[in-house]
Amino acid sequence: MNRRFFLKSGGIALASMGMSLSAPSFLERVVMGREAITGGRRKTLIAIFQRGAVDGLNMVVPFGESSYYDLRPNIAIPKPDAANAESAINLDGFFGLHPAMKPFKSLWDSKRLAIVHASGSPDNSRSHFDAQDYMESATPGVKSTPDGWLNRYLQNKKGGQESSFRAVSLTRTMPRVLMGRAPAVAMANVSEFTIRAGKSSANVQSSFEEIYAQQSKDKLAGTGRETFDAVNYLKKANPAQYKPENGAEYPSNQFGNSLRQIAQLIKADVGLEIAFTDVGGWDTHVNQGNGRGQLANLLAQFSTAIAALYQDLGQRMDDVVVLTMSEFGRTVKENGNRGTDHGHANAMFVLGNSVQGGKVYGRWPGLKTDQLYEGRDLALTTDFRDVFAEVASRHLGATDLKSVFPGYSQSKPKGFLS
Amino acid sequence: MNRKSIVVTLVVCIVASQISAQKRSKPRGLTEEQRIVHVLNRLGFGARPGDVERVKSMGLENYINQQLNPEKLADTLAENKVKDLAVLNMTTAELYEKYPQPGQLVRQLQNRGLLPKELAETNDKNPRENPEYRKLIQQYYKENGLEQPQRIIAELQASRILRAVYSERQLQEVMVDFWTNHFNVFAGKGADRWLLPAYDRDTIRPYALSKFSTLLQATAQSPAMLFYLDNFQSVSPNANNNRGPQMERRQQQQPQQQPQQQQRPRRGINENYARELMELHTLGVDGGYTQKDVQEVARCFTGWTIFQPRGGAAAVNALRGEAARRTPGTFFFNHRTHDDGEKIVLGHKIAAGGGINDGLKVLDILAHHPSTAKFIATKLVRHFVSDTPPPALVERVAAAFKKSDGDIRETLKAIFFSNEFNSPEAYRAKVKRPFELVISAIRTLGADTNGGPGTHQWMARMGEPLYGFQTPNGYSDAAESWVNNGGLLERMNFGVALAANRVNGTKVDLTKVAGANADKGKMIDESVKTILAGELSAATRETLMKQLDQADSLTKVVGLILGTPEFQRQ
Repeated sequence: MNRRFFLKSGGIALASMGMSLSAPSFLERVVMGREAITGGRRKTLIAIFQRGAVDGLNMVVPFGESSYYDLRPNIAIPKPDAANAESAINLDGFFGLHPAMKPFKSLWDSKRLAIVHASGSPDNSRSHFDAQDYMESATPGVKSTPDGWLNRYLQNKKGGQESSFRAVSLTRTMPRVLMGRAPAVAMANVSEFTIRAGKSSANVQSSFEEIYAQQSKDKLAGTGRETFDAVNYLKKANPAQYKPENGAEYPSNQFGNSLRQIAQLIKADVGLEIAFTDVGGWDTHVNQGNGRGQLANLLAQFSTAIAALYQDLGQRMDDVVVLTMSEFGRTVKENGNRGTDHGHANAMFVLGNSVQGGKVYGRWPGLKTDQLYEGRDLALTTDFRDVFAEVASRHLGATDLKSVFPGYSQSKPKGFLS
Repeated sequence: MNRKSIVVTLVVCIVASQISAQKRSKPRGLTEEQRIVHVLNRLGFGARPGDVERVKSMGLENYINQQLNPEKLADTLAENKVKDLAVLNMTTAELYEKYPQPGQLVRQLQNRGLLPKELAETNDKNPRENPEYRKLIQQYYKENGLEQPQRIIAELQASRILRAVYSERQLQEVMVDFWTNHFNVFAGKGADRWLLPAYDRDTIRPYALSKFSTLLQATAQSPAMLFYLDNFQSVSPNANNNRGPQMERRQQQQPQQQPQQQQRPRRGINENYARELMELHTLGVDGGYTQKDVQEVARCFTGWTIFQPRGGAAAVNALRGEAARRTPGTFFFNHRTHDDGEKIVLGHKIAAGGGINDGLKVLDILAHHPSTAKFIATKLVRHFVSDTPPPALVERVAAAFKKSDGDIRETLKAIFFSNEFNSPEAYRAKVKRPFELVISAIRTLGADTNGGPGTHQWMARMGEPLYGFQTPNGYSDAAESWVNNGGLLERMNFGVALAANRVNGTKVDLTKVAGANADKGKMIDESVKTILAGELSAATRETLMKQLDQADSLTKVVGLILGTPEFQRQ
């Protein structure tokens, strides 16, 4: 492909970045591959892992269940009550959001936020390690699966797979969910994706570029050249100067920073299709609090950061879906330390302009003793693979779901995406 | 292939065949110096200044034989370097006492009414976001002579780095790395953080060059592996009948001794270890076992467990001066939870009533299975020779394995003295893994390191934190897993940082590398000679020459050489 052909077909995308010449080779392919992907518009998934097992029952509160209050004398979230700022935010007369998740309320009202409750892994492991592993490999019960499901999606989806930034994890190391044959990049910070040699950075980088350009047949050198294409392209997007739009204010913590950088990559149009990040601290065995306290603080940061991302991306949320997950839920009954222990099913959020929101999806199994899983936990009515598969097929356009979710046949889609 | 390269290849072949006709041990193609560099790269973590000359004077074959018998090599320098790493000499029980998990300790103190008041009062917020709580915990640890558990793996990682850099027993360290990966255990899984120092010291290290069957049994009985692959909680479904009342009672009486993350143990068989034992440790995935074999092997290993796998209340007991009745975190066979019926494994009948011998018998069957010989041979050849193991060599190496009853030294000899190992095709054909890259860079510069997190962090950034691989297959030994944008960029950044003395805890003196040369062209040649045995393309040398008018030219030149595609290979 020569440059003139590239400019003709891809000029629009690049012009919008204020770039006209010397587009990197990987980007030529990105722009060319664009139309093949999803009818001309790139779709992006932002997957967020709440590591440590969030208490889904205090995050999305089943205030219509009397057992909920019986089993949680100290930590339950009170029923919606206009006079009580620490009561649940009413969603549909039965479920309510934790009061600290106020930033989600308007997204719910505008039907951009859907919830899938009583969802998770069919495996009964209550080990953080195993359950995270299963959620990321999407093969519950099978530990030897070499790759993560998002990577398998990338492997199987034809077209557009050549962008260096097709899959980016805003984490220090590559998460299990993105491990596998398809290239993906992990970085704690976008600004670190460059040659870091202080004042000599530019000089050292240009030498490296020369060195790697000289060895035309070496695979390693080829990868090096692509790397510098990507580095230079990112530099032009000028990460240091990034200003969120629409008055969005990200919380100044790691999670907020990660989401801000994901927004930045999406706006820079670098071909981002899968973004991943995680946020920890949810393992609330002791004094998890109710309307206030440990969990409340975490949920406030969590929802504020996601709502800021939504606001920042504005109309781009037409093509973006945010999906949250956590390895398992927590015991329905509070423990002796006013906390909760490891449980089973949990709640997931799906956000985006294309989401059929304002609804809690999934059958609610109830919280009476005989309705509980193993007599203690929220029972599972939606396999997490049904949620993943709906996002993969209806949002990202995956067609070969069998390869992405080996050994699993999807149930009928829930319909949170049309 | 064009005509010119055909001619060249032919000439090489002719010359090579003449050489091999003259002297059989001398392989075609590689010069003596290249052979030495090759051996130092593959049997070790690369040459230090002076190593090539040293090996040349003692003879390469002598060097290889010496490396195969590390117990006869004095290793004072490396031992001195690691002597201040306290965790290396502590038992698992001592680690539980001295390095308790703060959350677990706080709960246990709370349950016994021993939690200091100010800690109890600040304990209602998320510790990550609560600096006051963290400060009080630190204070409590300090006052009571305790250490944070993160220290354990940090010291263990440091010991691996220090030994790889300084040990004379280079092959031993390479094999420790190899087997640690083959029998992978992830530090992030539950109690494994406390169990890993013993795993390195008592399981992998002593048997890295012994019989495979010995090593296999050591791993099977190691608490680290029993925990990692869940066998410690694998219990015969019939065990309720033969499980004595004693254990039950203890659990009921002292539930507070169990940390809360530890949910009620799942009663029943866990097949995880049985499956990985065959798929990853011995036979290989196509090694000829069935799902039924997995189930039968799992039955054989029921009752192979750990006493107080998470340390019980070791820390609280120690704080109160109470002695443990039994050593927490050690292997034991619990006959009460063992399935004592008859089993059939890979066609072998294992009679009822065998107790612990069931598992031992399985290990024996697996260690001597022809699929195991082939699987281990393939992995070793991939590690030492090529990402695409030559089938003929694999066959010979597997034969050596079988003939020697799985003697690892004899198996390695079949590789090291093979034509394939010593061929030009194998020379610099392997892409270094991040651990190998970091260690070889430190060694080639003759740098001094404390092995601390400042150094380890670079390996993590490139994608290979030690004991940081989650799944049981361990880090890949093939280039395709390591050649990617993010990883390659960090490799270059590491080279640049190391040369500029910006790697915390590691110091280099570049005049040792290049000499104090006034002639700058010579400075480049000396650096290339030290780091790449003089093998660098003319074009790259030209690029380096351009740096000479710049400030800090030596720093930049060395950083760039460490970041070249050539130095990523071994």
